[in-house]
Amino acid sequence: MKPAQTTVPHQTLRGNGWLRRQAGHYQLWLMVLPAVIYIAIFCYGPMYGIQLAFREFDFSKGLTGGEWAGFKYFEQYFNSPMFWPTLRNTFIIAFFSILLGFPMPILLALVVNSIRSNRRKRILQTTVYMPYFISTVVLVALLQIMLSPTTGLIDGFLKALHLIPADTNLIGDPGAFVPVYVISAIWQACGWNSIIFIAALSSVDAQQYDAARIDGANRWQTVWHVEIPAILPTIIILLIMNMGSILSVGFEKTFLMQNSLNKPVSEVISTYVFNVGVKSNQFSFGSAVGLFNTLINFTFLMLANALAKKTSKISLM
Amino acid sequence: MRKKSILALVLAGCLTGLSLTGCSSKGNSSDVGNDSSNTPEGKTKLKAIIVKHSLTKDVTQMKWLAEIEEKANVEIEWQQISADWDQKKSALFASGEIPDLLFNATSNSDFVQFNGLFEDLGPLIEKDAPNIQKMFSEHPELKTLATQIDGKLYGTPRYKGIWPGSTASMFINKTWLDNLGLQVPTTWDELETVLLAFREGDPNQNGDKTDEIPMDFNPIGWDFTPKLLLGSLGLPLSNGASDGYFTEGAQVKNFYVDERFKTLMQFLQKLYSQNLISKEVVTQDYSKYQSVARGNGTTAKVGFTWGWETGDRFGNELKDQYVTLPQLKQHADSTNELYWSNDYYYQNYGSNAVSVSARSKNKEAAMRFIDGFYEPVVSLQVLFGGMNDTDKGIKDNGDGTYAILPPADASLDPGSWKWTNSFADNGPMYIADALKDKVTLGSDMQNVLKEKAVYDELLNKADEKSNVYPQNFMKYSTEDTNTLAMNQANVNNITDQKWANWLTTKVDIEKEWAAYVASVNSSGLEQNLQIRQKAYDEYLSTLK
Repeated sequence: MKPAQTTVPHQTLRGNGWLRRQAGHYQLWLMVLPAVIYIAIFCYGPMYGIQLAFREFDFSKGLTGGEWAGFKYFEQYFNSPMFWPTLRNTFIIAFFSILLGFPMPILLALVVNSIRSNRRKRILQTTVYMPYFISTVVLVALLQIMLSPTTGLIDGFLKALHLIPADTNLIGDPGAFVPVYVISAIWQACGWNSIIFIAALSSVDAQQYDAARIDGANRWQTVWHVEIPAILPTIIILLIMNMGSILSVGFEKTFLMQNSLNKPVSEVISTYVFNVGVKSNQFSFGSAVGLFNTLINFTFLMLANALAKKTSKISLM
Repeated sequence: MRKKSILALVLAGCLTGLSLTGCSSKGNSSDVGNDSSNTPEGKTKLKAIIVKHSLTKDVTQMKWLAEIEEKANVEIEWQQISADWDQKKSALFASGEIPDLLFNATSNSDFVQFNGLFEDLGPLIEKDAPNIQKMFSEHPELKTLATQIDGKLYGTPRYKGIWPGSTASMFINKTWLDNLGLQVPTTWDELETVLLAFREGDPNQNGDKTDEIPMDFNPIGWDFTPKLLLGSLGLPLSNGASDGYFTEGAQVKNFYVDERFKTLMQFLQKLYSQNLISKEVVTQDYSKYQSVARGNGTTAKVGFTWGWETGDRFGNELKDQYVTLPQLKQHADSTNELYWSNDYYYQNYGSNAVSVSARSKNKEAAMRFIDGFYEPVVSLQVLFGGMNDTDKGIKDNGDGTYAILPPADASLDPGSWKWTNSFADNGPMYIADALKDKVTLGSDMQNVLKEKAVYDELLNKADEKSNVYPQNFMKYSTEDTNTLAMNQANVNNITDQKWANWLTTKVDIEKEWAAYVASVNSSGLEQNLQIRQKAYDEYLSTLK
């Protein structure tokens, strides 16, 4: 249904026309107001701090008072021996998190959707999204206990089945860091992330299922030709949004899981910013590295968006 | 209905308004903590923050503290912090709004980074602090310790003088040795034989040959680690050797790039490959390290390890099984000079016990209050708990001597009691040398001193002017502070992972050594050593 306002004569659009029109929707604006205020204060407000990356931070003059330093801190990061290792580690963790972590909720949603019994469906759904509410600190402590090479339950189980060599230390081995990180993340967030797909699936018209069945489609064909196309827009939008945070590898979990043994693969951009920027009071350097990280995220977001637009006409912008 | 929705709108408006004013009011609240108002009784009101140990009880319940407040005629509003201060303080200091007094909350680099936030206490001490003046005249090095590179004094120091000269001791399970008919090892080679026997036999005699851990330690950069074995190779560690720095022949060096560290890592790698070292040595945290050594009830699990004191390390049940091991020689015929880490400064001298906000309007009152802590008998209470019936920390014998009381709470060991009951080692204090002989220490400290006596001879040998490096005493300019911090982050990143990798794998350390040293040096270590050398030379020139 088209809004009635489009039929308003042309001359009223001049002057305060647009405002006057919106006044008719004041309830909508009121509803969105808290969100606008929130975003203005907490997202756009702090952005003036970005300039710190281009200044020499001087406490006595405040955030905006230091001398301009140009790209000094960016160069310092690009020339530092930690540039490539942190960038590479961040990429590897982010890449595998998306590659393995993104399809899992979709699969789970398809499975949940195909369960007929409502009771079983509810039990499964609750079970899989409970882990989402465990705090990162507790989760990492759990991992430390379960994967301990001497007393760990999961570690012992895997070794008993000869799935991993007997001298593996799952919480220390650099080769085990990424799998442990990614698999535990999937375990934790998969159920929660599947909710949005389940919601999208529930809106599939029952007539489409009936039509498919009459055409002789089996269960797999229904999934492939009815359900996946139905949730494809949701999938693409979420994928674009995930691409936007590709390098924002969770600081908390990486930092907590870090130890001397796995440091070659676990020192990512965010932990490096913490170690240098916050712990050693190098605020300008920290902001520069953080800003660099954000720029890469932004590039990926735009790329993914453009690609999606070109191939499937679905996009954010 | 209509009324309700209007009410909701008004409420929403108020909330939004509140959240906005919450932000904007920041600008004019700069006089927080500068409130010069007095209490009805005429006392000066001050705000203070204290960073305390997690065990320490609410400080407002300490009677000795109330007595200092009373005497200085001030009333303190305390804010107490016991976790994550490192992360909180950047935000607090950057906001510029700090309380009048900061206890145990500042470091030298803060004074450089937050220039202008803290008061220069020098003139105030000369005017209002007789106890601190007395401390400085008896121990001029404390004034050196507290004075920054710009000649100003932003934090008062602390001095104990009764703590031992070494942080860590080396322990071996004597019961296990006796059960297997072995001698206490005196060299690395003998140690290896003993550890092999611990692994092969069943020294704790519980019928299980696999539950013994022959050797356990902390990650190499921490306190209780095999880095202390570097002393077997003639390398003089001192004052915790944080980040690997030590001095030898008045040269600042770093053990992570020293040939002798390579020798040590080769030895440890050999032990690890023979399954003599705990598999979790790199990944366990301190609480796990502690709990493993305390074993199961009366069954010990660890054979050879490092720690502060047997009671603390092994618990009351097992502590009698262990003995302190003197420094080992590398081989029976080695001629290296033996050393043990000389941590006397690290244990007994501290900087920045209290700082004062430059914006405080009652600096005289603040200084009066601070000075109260430095009266020797009061300092004793700061460290061990009050001398009264409420605090039950110390007994005044009436003849000028004092005795540290056992814990009033029988479930606590003396160490935990001290940390619960008072500011303990985190407080501002000056235990005058004249008072030291008049104090009977608690059973834990007596035990510490007794256990560590085996290292006395080696510690006395350390040359104050060339082989001891008190990192606390070093002062750096703003630029140097920043360079040091940035380089150190890069250096640690290599050293941290390399030692762990060498220990747990079978790579040829000899082959990797040269490339490793080159990469550490080029990551900034060379520059850091130069900056540190400059500061150390300056420090030596003050020693005379």
